[in-house]
Amino acid sequence: MKKGQLWETRPLDSWDKAKELRAKWQKSIESKEKVVGQGNTSFVVDWQVCFPAITVIEDNPAGSMIAAKNDPFARKSRLACEIRGWGREICGYHGTLWGTQFLGYQEDGSPFPKRKFTVPFPCICDSHTKRGEQCRAFEPIPRWANDYTCYIGEYDEEREKAMLEHRNYCSLKMINEMERVFDQKFDDDKMIEMIRAESTIAQYRQDVSYYMTFKPAPLTVKDIYSFYTLGGLTKLDPEETVNFWKMFRDEVKWRVDNQIAGLGTERFRWMEAHPPSWHYLKYYRYMEQYGAVCIGSQYSNGTPMERKPDGSLVEREYPGFSKDIALDTREDEIRYMTGLDARAPHHFKQDEYLRPNALNEFAELYQVDGAMFGLWRGGVGCNMLRKEQAMKLRLIGKSVLFFEGSQPGDRTDLDEKRFLDQLDGWMEGQGLRKLED
Amino acid sequence: MITAGIDVGLENIKVVILQDGKIIGRGIGRTGGAGRAAAIESVMASALQEAKIEAGDVEKTIATGKGRYDAVTAGEQYTEPVTAVRAARFLHPDADAVVDAGADETLIASMERDGRIKESTINQKCAAGIGTFLRNMADRLEMSLEELSALPPADPAGVTVSDGCVVFGEMDALSCLNHGASPKEVAEAVIESAAIRACSVIKEPTLPIGDRILLVGGLAKNAAFVAALEKQAGLRFIIPADAEYAGALGAALTAIPLS
Repeated sequence: MKKGQLWETRPLDSWDKAKELRAKWQKSIESKEKVVGQGNTSFVVDWQVCFPAITVIEDNPAGSMIAAKNDPFARKSRLACEIRGWGREICGYHGTLWGTQFLGYQEDGSPFPKRKFTVPFPCICDSHTKRGEQCRAFEPIPRWANDYTCYIGEYDEEREKAMLEHRNYCSLKMINEMERVFDQKFDDDKMIEMIRAESTIAQYRQDVSYYMTFKPAPLTVKDIYSFYTLGGLTKLDPEETVNFWKMFRDEVKWRVDNQIAGLGTERFRWMEAHPPSWHYLKYYRYMEQYGAVCIGSQYSNGTPMERKPDGSLVEREYPGFSKDIALDTREDEIRYMTGLDARAPHHFKQDEYLRPNALNEFAELYQVDGAMFGLWRGGVGCNMLRKEQAMKLRLIGKSVLFFEGSQPGDRTDLDEKRFLDQLDGWMEGQGLRKLED
Repeated sequence: MITAGIDVGLENIKVVILQDGKIIGRGIGRTGGAGRAAAIESVMASALQEAKIEAGDVEKTIATGKGRYDAVTAGEQYTEPVTAVRAARFLHPDADAVVDAGADETLIASMERDGRIKESTINQKCAAGIGTFLRNMADRLEMSLEELSALPPADPAGVTVSDGCVVFGEMDALSCLNHGASPKEVAEAVIESAAIRACSVIKEPTLPIGDRILLVGGLAKNAAFVAALEKQAGLRFIIPADAEYAGALGAALTAIPLS
């Protein structure tokens, strides 16, 4: 038994199937000749596969992959971006990815696949407002904005409705115009099939997220991050992906029932609020040396449940969206997706009330002892409300550590040694020592 | 029981030797670069000499500070918040919080009555290196640290230097000199900017930090800095004698087994 072990732990059986699915996807995308677009839509369904010859690349995963794989190239790329005038006001993901456009070649030396259109993701809270401009400013290509209007103040049903109707309009317009511009027919039947699969997976995800509230946590956040992207493989095979998620959900439930831990030494539970530093994930393992497990964040787990004043735990409701609408027309599809997205994990980012308060709910629901927040100079979440979130968490007895520098897709400001020193100080301040010491 | 604490800071190494909870020996010396291990040995030797004991008499040694892993004779290493709080509780049992301001780090830790850490914050990068910055600027301005410490408060209408980070601060200071400011005026502005940076850490805690706040670390010896920091933070600090030894003292205390 490992020193300090408190719980039984074992690898997930679902890993093998996950790897098989991922390999199938990789094979399916090799040597495809398609119109390449730049997309960061907030659609929860991979709409691109409903066009026969369109493929969409997102700058976030592409940028973070470069940063993780090849730091010297990532730095060169960001410099190329800065020289073109795109400085730190844009997210590090984007700086890294769009620098390769300006360089003209990718990390593996192949030519940069120029975008033929762009659909920026609506994100009002940080430096993503300039999303998609880099490729459009480079060459004249169509840009369809998937606007996310917003308002300030208390929840307002009428304004909320108007906001969502505008989003429906934007999305519908985008699909209709893409049919016209690229002379391709959008496959609505395929879209409905995808939506149904995605809805089922969303429920499984929510179950997994709920199981993470138990002690010991059945998974660590690194498992969650590995699996959550696989939900997107509905574009490969909706039915197989649904079946995979059911298997995964059932296995996690079994682990909860049998107290099988993701980390056998779990004695301190901590949370985040946003995506991690993708190029520096080893801080999770570093914390595990103290028996400290990351149970996730609103980004990874969503905010699916909420505790009502009577103590009951129920699905979080966002008024104004029904999951029970019929799926007959393209407009139905869009409306359904807008509703799904409004309930999606990212929703908290747009909500000035929900974001700081939901973290406290999350902290209590997931029984965390502390939270770690990045103070970033740009990128996802940036620093909006970050300090306020910490204040609220501290007031309910949760210890908070800030670390400075790195963005999820840009390691420019990460001082690795200082960061690890901070982690040591934080853990020792909680009375914990490294278990192998 | 005889225990020793070694605080390997960015600028100085400090050693404290305790016997049955009383300080019997101390040592201090420059940290150096590549020769850090030898420097630790030398400072330890002077502390042992003051204590009139041999190295073998020390039952347990704990190291702290940024360079703690270079103290090869230490049985364990602890981080600075832990040792600062142990020292604060020893030096002033009624203390509510401790601020440790040194060459590299500035930290604040508030304490529970039983000595546990309630909340602690260490500076981020932009507020790092304040002590080293002051030493470098003293060299640049051809002043001693004692002269720097004796400076009056900065003139609000005088020159200012960036409080963003020490690199910007130094560039600003040189620019002021190039534009005719006197070294004294620049030095006052440098002290002010250092205090603003340190204050950004002190203002960080969310929970109340109380009124009895100890200031320890090398910067506690710099009267001009302390005055500027008190003004910025709106606080009055309790500064114990030999405040720069607090980290080493805390480490030596941590080496004593809890009864």
